Amino acid sequence: MSSVIRAESRLRARGEVAPARRAGIIFSDPGDNAFLSSLDAELRPVLYEGEGATRTSFELAVDDHDMHWVILEDGNFQDLVSSTYTVGNAMSANGASESLLAAVFEFYFTGASGDGAYRSATRSYWIYRYDLKAFYPFVPVGDSEGERDRPTEMQLAQSIRKEGVRVESSLEEWLGLWGIPF
Amino acid sequence: MTTFTTRRFNKDSGLVMRMYFTMLMLGFLYGLFALFLWSINFPIIFIGVIVGVMVGVQYFLSDRLIMWTSGAKEVSRAEEPKLYAMVERVAAKAGMPMPKVAVMDSRVPNAFATGRNPKNALVAVTVGICERLSERELEAVLAHEMAHVRNRDMRVLAIANFLVTLTSFLMTMLFWNMLFGGFGGRRDNQGGVIMIVFLVTLVVQFLGQLLVLALTRYREYGADHSGAEISGDPGALASALEKISGVMARIPDEDLRRLQSASAFMIIPAALKGEGGMNLFSTHPPVEERVRRLRELEKRARMGMR
Repeated sequence: MSSVIRAESRLRARGEVAPARRAGIIFSDPGDNAFLSSLDAELRPVLYEGEGATRTSFELAVDDHDMHWVILEDGNFQDLVSSTYTVGNAMSANGASESLLAAVFEFYFTGASGDGAYRSATRSYWIYRYDLKAFYPFVPVGDSEGERDRPTEMQLAQSIRKEGVRVESSLEEWLGLWGIPF
Repeated sequence: MTTFTTRRFNKDSGLVMRMYFTMLMLGFLYGLFALFLWSINFPIIFIGVIVGVMVGVQYFLSDRLIMWTSGAKEVSRAEEPKLYAMVERVAAKAGMPMPKVAVMDSRVPNAFATGRNPKNALVAVTVGICERLSERELEAVLAHEMAHVRNRDMRVLAIANFLVTLTSFLMTMLFWNMLFGGFGGRRDNQGGVIMIVFLVTLVVQFLGQLLVLALTRYREYGADHSGAEISGDPGALASALEKISGVMARIPDEDLRRLQSASAFMIIPAALKGEGGMNLFSTHPPVEERVRRLRELEKRARMGMR
C-alpha cells in the first residue's frame, strides 16, 4: 500500500493529481466482533497515543448499503496512508480480516490527458481491495450504479502503474463504490 | 440538390422473425397475467392506470426528460456547424427529418437517441465521443442512433417498460402487504390469495424480464444493421464500438458492496434502468457480438453480395 505515497508525490509534482486529504476503510460488521463493536474506543489509542502517532483524525459512518466506514482525514498524505494502513492492520489483527472490503483514497484528478484538452479537477478515488491486494482507480460521474468515467480510469491506471503501484490487471474486478460517504 | 444513395443490405429475416416472436410472447405472457388477475377480481385497472401514466409521461416527454437528466444541451447549426452538418447528412441519407441535436459535456464517450417518432427525435453525443472518434466513425454512430429512431425503438421500449414496471410495482405492493397485512379486515382467507398472486407475479416478472432482454438485444442488432444501411459503412461502426468499448466494457457497472450483501429487491429491472433512450454502449448485447455481425456485413457488402 505504501507504493501510493511515491506515486502520489510524483503525480502531484507533475500536476496530474491533488490529494483531497481524505481516505476511508469500508467494512461489513457481522455484529459479533468485540473489536468492531467498540471500534471508536479501540482506534483512539492506535491513532492518537504513543510515539510517532500520526494523529490523523477519524470518524465512523454507515452508508446507504449498511456498510461501515472509518473515515480518516490528514493534510499529510504520507500520514494519511500510514494511518489507513495501521487501522486496516489493527482490524485484521483483531479477527475482522474477513470484514475488510477496501481502503479508498480520494484525489482530484487534473491530469492533462492525451487529447490535450483542458479540464477542471475531477473527483477520483484509488481503491485498494483487501482481497485482491491491489489498487484500481474509480471516477464516478453520477450517484447511480454504473455511472463512471471509464476512459479517465484507464488513463489514471496507466499513470499510477507507471509509478510502481500494483494495479489490478483484470478490469472485471474494478467494482465501483457509488455514494462514498466522504 | 444532392441525392444520396443508400446501399441495401439484405434484410436479416431471421432477426426480424425472432423479434416479432418475442414481442408476441411478451404480449401473450402479460395478456394471460391480466386474465388471471381479472379472474380473481384483483384491482388491476387502478394499478395499470398509475403505471400507465408514469410510463406515458416518460414516453411523451422523453426528449425533454433525457435532456434534463443527462445535462445535454441542444445546439444550433451556428454553435456546432460540423456536428450539425454531419447529422443533417445522415438524416438525408436515412430519408428522415432533421432531428434536434444535443451535446453533453462529458468525457465519457457515448451517444443516444430518443423521441417517439422521427418528427420528435433527438440525437445527443458527448464531448468525449467527438474527441475520440474519426469523422467516419462518428457518422456511423449517428446513423446507428437515427436507425433507432426510424425503427421506433422508443415505442417498443416504452411498452416493454410499462409491462415490466407494472409487475415490479405490483410485486413491491404485494410484498409490503404480506408483511403488514392490509386491504381491509378479512385477513384469514385473503392472505393465501395474496401469496398466490405474489408468486404468479414473480414468475411473470422473471419471464417478462427475459423477454425484454431478448427484445432489446434484437433492437440493438436491428439498429446496427439499418444504421449500416444508412451510412453504407458497417466497418466504421464496428471500429467505433471497438475503439470505445472494446476494453472499457470490461470495467463493471456493479458496486463493490454487492459482493458482500445481495441486494434484497430489485425494484427497477437492470435492463431498463432509468433510461428512456437507446444507449449506444449498453453492455447488452455484448459488443463483441455486434462487432462480429458488422464485420460480416462489411465483408458481404465488399463481395457484392446483397
